[in-house]
Amino acid sequence: MISRIARKELTEMFRDGRFRLLAGMVLAISLLSLAAGWKNYSALSQQHATAQVATRSQWLAQDKKNPHSAAHYGVYAFKPKSQLAMVDTGVDPYVGVAVWLEAHKQNDFKFRPAQDRTAVQRFGEMTGAEVLQVFLPLFIVLMTFSAFTGEREQGTLRQVLSLGVSRRDLALGKALGVTAALGLVLLPATVFAVLALAWSAEGGLVSSDPARAVLLALVYLAYFALLIALSLAVSARVRSSRVALVALLTFWFANSLVAGRAASDLAGWLYPTPSAIEFQKAMDADLNNENDMKIRLDKRRAEVLKQYQVDNVDALPIAFSGVSMQEGEEHGNEVFDKHYGQLFDRYEQQNRVYQIGGVLAPMLSVRALSMGLSGTDFAQHRHFAVAAEDYRRGIQRSMNGDIAANQKKGQVYLADQSLWASVPDLDYAAPSTSWVLGNYLASLLVLALWTCAAMGFMVRSASTLRAD
Amino acid sequence: MLRRIVQHEWKALTADATLWVVAAVFGVAIGYGVWNGSRWVAFQHDTMASARAEELTRYDSLTTQVAALQQPDAKVSPFADPRSPSNVGGRLGPRYAMLPPGPLAPLAIGQSDLLPYYFKVSTDARENIVAATEIENPNRLLAGRFDLAFVIIFLYPLLILALTYNMLSSEQEQGTLVLALSQPVSLGTLVSGKVLLRALILVGLVVAFSVAALIVSGADLGAPGAVTRLALWLTVVAAYGAFWFGLAVAVASLGRNSTTNATLLASGWLVLIVMTPSLFNMAATSLYPVPSRVEMVQAMREAQDEANKGGSQALARFYEDHPELATGDPAQAMNDFNVVRVAVNDDVERRVRPVVSRYEEQVAKQQRAIDSLRFLSPAILMQAALNDIAGTGTDRHRDYLAQVDTFHGAWRDYFVPKIFAKAQITDFDQVPRFSYSEEPTAVVSQRVGVALLGLLLPAAVIGMLGWRRLRRFAVV
Repeated sequence: MISRIARKELTEMFRDGRFRLLAGMVLAISLLSLAAGWKNYSALSQQHATAQVATRSQWLAQDKKNPHSAAHYGVYAFKPKSQLAMVDTGVDPYVGVAVWLEAHKQNDFKFRPAQDRTAVQRFGEMTGAEVLQVFLPLFIVLMTFSAFTGEREQGTLRQVLSLGVSRRDLALGKALGVTAALGLVLLPATVFAVLALAWSAEGGLVSSDPARAVLLALVYLAYFALLIALSLAVSARVRSSRVALVALLTFWFANSLVAGRAASDLAGWLYPTPSAIEFQKAMDADLNNENDMKIRLDKRRAEVLKQYQVDNVDALPIAFSGVSMQEGEEHGNEVFDKHYGQLFDRYEQQNRVYQIGGVLAPMLSVRALSMGLSGTDFAQHRHFAVAAEDYRRGIQRSMNGDIAANQKKGQVYLADQSLWASVPDLDYAAPSTSWVLGNYLASLLVLALWTCAAMGFMVRSASTLRAD
Repeated sequence: MLRRIVQHEWKALTADATLWVVAAVFGVAIGYGVWNGSRWVAFQHDTMASARAEELTRYDSLTTQVAALQQPDAKVSPFADPRSPSNVGGRLGPRYAMLPPGPLAPLAIGQSDLLPYYFKVSTDARENIVAATEIENPNRLLAGRFDLAFVIIFLYPLLILALTYNMLSSEQEQGTLVLALSQPVSLGTLVSGKVLLRALILVGLVVAFSVAALIVSGADLGAPGAVTRLALWLTVVAAYGAFWFGLAVAVASLGRNSTTNATLLASGWLVLIVMTPSLFNMAATSLYPVPSRVEMVQAMREAQDEANKGGSQALARFYEDHPELATGDPAQAMNDFNVVRVAVNDDVERRVRPVVSRYEEQVAKQQRAIDSLRFLSPAILMQAALNDIAGTGTDRHRDYLAQVDTFHGAWRDYFVPKIFAKAQITDFDQVPRFSYSEEPTAVVSQRVGVALLGLLLPAAVIGMLGWRRLRRFAVV
């Protein structure tokens, strides 16, 4: 019975010119957005890969110089693009693309791509994620708002119910019909996305971490199931198609367009971040704390003297300047960990507001999960920032260690390319899928609850459906 | 007659809950939007105040150090000498070039959360100076903020549509339209009365709420240009409303039922406000893609390497990193190095310029593409106009950047000759200061005027088409 109702719904939809128009539009924008995303991804990942190779060869091609000069010269780290960024660009346009890894300093990521766009960017980028999060929900609302009210208004609902069809079967049949229609509209886009992912992955689809893509698809399926169930429930509950449309459009507007902004404001109000000037001022105060530095250095000097069993640094078989410079680095590292750690924790606290906000507007949970699985959320930006910073610290250790080992008193020490080559290339591995999911347990839970609740609501509303 | 229709409509509207819901939603949204905008403006003011304080402390300390050096046998390392023009113009004495929020900034946050509003100007290369950004959670930048501009662009048309979608159809459905038209009144007059009253109410509400919220939030309406800008703001908002009222009349003239009208108008809203801006943005960024700035970073690095080639420069860089290793007369070496560094910075900038302008050109092309498409999207026109009036748009920022460039030039003109002449700086009052000169209001009015035309013309055309169709309206 259910499948028969579903088939009837599907046939009816495809006969409707408005549905065909809407479906055509959704199909067109989903394909367009994916094509644009793919093109963008290919260009950017190519540019980032080229730049990463170039910065490495610049490092290797350095002339003979003191290791500390090389440390000042440093290298750049460019965040590699994650493959699913072609579907969801996430925060990528709003974080810097490059960070300079130099001596003494943890730098910020510079050059946010959004600064190289027009103001229209702020309406939202037409990415696959935008289509899935904003346009498809609207499509679902428009397809389902009159599912029950329309039949009631035409008088066909009474007929159907008089045939002895159970109300639950009717609701499930309609849900199935809408799902099938949605599936047909999404099929070409899905095929396209899978091919694009396979095409752009080195070594084929298998190497591209299919778990993320599959989970991403599941998240969106759950979201669509939620919306279909919610729309059908509303359609079953309210008096007229008009009321159903107004109610569902209001929900869509609040969920898709207002919730994100409101969550931004709330997050900023609950967890304010300092201005760059205040941040720098606080960090400089700690960095320039001479007393801290002196205590550190005295302690380290005593250790080294004891280790080599001498009573002054001039008698050391190693160059103490290398040791003291490394001690300066260690001091800086503690300060950077404290300040950047606090700032990034602040961001994470703010981002938790979005996740919890999903209780009121499920789109917030879906968006968080989508960015996370696509590798374009803040957590994964931070993951890369930490990896780049660790790499910087490694360079400093090698350079200062080399100075300590090789610099002779009263001589200018120059190292050569063998030292530069002894520093390994920055080899970044993106975090695992389970790490990502661990960050979004709240969102997963919220989405699951919403979906179950919406389905329960649908079944309940359908079972109390009135014929007139 | 018109007055009687308006009076009657007023009674009908006030008896219905819709109007009160609309007014309440509007009031809350506008109040919240303006409050939110003012908080952001206050944050910017606080930041600018701490920047000024930081600069002042730094300069006070420089003055004290110079005074201490007047003492006989006072010594200082050449790298920390507060009298050295190279040190002051470079690390020790940078001054802030700041873009203060305009008088109506609380009305639209616009691009001001994304584009930096202060730079620390020194003799360093331009690209290093303007790469600075304000700290912000990228998630917040992505989601945007809830400000008055959002309320006006997205919500205001919806409220207009909520009050107008059934203005004729509901009377037709209840059968009162035939009754009304059996009186000596034309359909045209009836519709005029209905639209006039609704327009008065909605535009009145938005004006009253916005002005009230502005005053409560403590905006300085006495600032130069503030009143003109406020007038522009209200005009643009009225014109945007006119567009949506025109659309509502056109749809009403089709004579469909209320549900169809609602669907049609909601689709119009969706296509014009949500879809076209994203599509146009996609078209512009796909046609004129801006390469990642990683290419510029690499180009700058290469330029730096090239400029640094040669023994004396390499030595100078080494000395810079290792003052304690400088042998011979460090002061002499330093002076030479400073001269070299000026030359290197100059050289780098010259080499990097073509690369940087490639980015700027691509963005300009995107902007031109958007500019020619914007007349198809009232939302884009409104966004640009509201940002312009609030002073949070891209044009004002570009103007600010040009002023920063000029100041950067003046800064170098002041310090470079002194570096070459190996002169000393003792009077810090002479060091150039940045003062922002606001874009002339006339320039802003001109840009907003174009948007105004772009809104009113289609409003008039659509409204007229609807009006003419009303003559063929089948009442029964």
